[in-house]
Amino acid sequence: MTPPDWSVWDVLLTSAIETLQTTIAGTFLGALFAYPLGVLAASNWTPIWVHLPIKAFMAFVRSIPLLLLALLFVSAVGLGPFPGVLALAVHSVGVLGRFVAEEIEATDPKPLLALQGTGASSLQIIQHGLIPQVLPQMVAHLAIRFEMNLRDSTILGLVGAGGLGFYVFLYVKQFQWQKSGVLVLAIIALVFAGEFAAWQVRKRLI
Amino acid sequence: MSKEVVIQIEDARVEMEGRTILSLEHLEVSRGERVAIIGNSGSGKTTLMRMLKGYVPCQKGKVVVMGDVFPIKDTHKMKTHHRHIGMIHQHFDLIGRETVWQNVYHGRLGYVSLLKSMLGICSQRDLQICAQAIHEVHLEDKQRRFARTLSGGEQQRVAIARALAQEPTILLADEPVSSLDPALAEDIMDLLVSVCDAYKLTLIMSLHLPELARKYADRILAMKNGKIMWDGSSDSLSNDRISEIYEFMGTNGVVNGNGTRASRSAFTWPYGWQGQPLPGG
Repeated sequence: MTPPDWSVWDVLLTSAIETLQTTIAGTFLGALFAYPLGVLAASNWTPIWVHLPIKAFMAFVRSIPLLLLALLFVSAVGLGPFPGVLALAVHSVGVLGRFVAEEIEATDPKPLLALQGTGASSLQIIQHGLIPQVLPQMVAHLAIRFEMNLRDSTILGLVGAGGLGFYVFLYVKQFQWQKSGVLVLAIIALVFAGEFAAWQVRKRLI
Repeated sequence: MSKEVVIQIEDARVEMEGRTILSLEHLEVSRGERVAIIGNSGSGKTTLMRMLKGYVPCQKGKVVVMGDVFPIKDTHKMKTHHRHIGMIHQHFDLIGRETVWQNVYHGRLGYVSLLKSMLGICSQRDLQICAQAIHEVHLEDKQRRFARTLSGGEQQRVAIARALAQEPTILLADEPVSSLDPALAEDIMDLLVSVCDAYKLTLIMSLHLPELARKYADRILAMKNGKIMWDGSSDSLSNDRISEIYEFMGTNGVVNGNGTRASRSAFTWPYGWQGQPLPGG
């Protein structure tokens, strides 16, 4: 792999940006569905016939390996970053939704009852009682999920779902080790940066 | 001025899982009274308060609080009922990650529409009432701090301010000082009684310590097994009377017969040998 061949700089830049974009789109698309589903999956807020099927669905989604999901979406929508986004989003729904549900289940009900006792309506109780209690942890979970998705999305390219991994695999297949080495360095740097960003977010919140 | 009755209870019963946990034959509380409820854990003090607040339904009998006849079915009426009755709790029950000011503002939520509270619009009147409530409990300098960063006594003061912001007529205090140390407990009790005087509120509090009840209430109810065993002015509750009541309570081993139970509750003085020298002393 040494010495690194820096002639791939252009490829590196475009594919690193693509990986980052895939991660951001996948994480936030997932979060968009994960938060409402997570609220519905909280056993102390919804009846059993609502939260049990949703929990089962999220467990099912979590149990499918990410690469398998990506393969599935590649065959469904074709090569490129878009199936990567979908794979990350579906996987994030399973993981984030569960975190949200557990966070809500762990909230202290007594302050919420005290709010009800002031004459507040249900939505006011959610706004002033529930959200302040769970918001910091939810944002922290989102940051962690982002960091993990960034790591995962670098290898999504192996199955043709775009990003850095795609080119690593391409150069490896052509025995151009120096070029693939540069891209591996880029993956390491990117994952490091993601971890640093998530750590910063957590530090400010908790 | 004739006495206005704010709470009227006749033959009310609260049952849970087939067991009667509260059974009250007759109870009337007039406006401005300061009532303390004493009794052991599980004697029904908290259930009585939760019933008055409307959290626990009463199955039988007649309960009228502020003209509202129980059970209140209509949700809008229930909201108004909640607004009229402020409640403070043993563990304060504040939202820790919101500021003192926000927690006091929660007392106004029953008055503001959902849209306004979503957008964070406060009327001039709401602001004034919150500022006044914070002033009453002397927390002006801490109103921008998160509630969870305050000490226990300060948190209970925030809870009192939140209840005041509701503009209640009745203030229920469920073990208001049980999780505070004794010196702080007196401070909070002084504050509670003074705001109730200032706002002409009817105060109903459950207390573990009969001394506190005698010092701060004009009327004392002693409860056992969901029934009121004694109801009278706090002046008429002499030491002898207290030991008599607790003797009475202890007939089936709740206080006297069962040492662990007695030491777990907060009654510390020696009922059995009052006036006699201490063993070894």
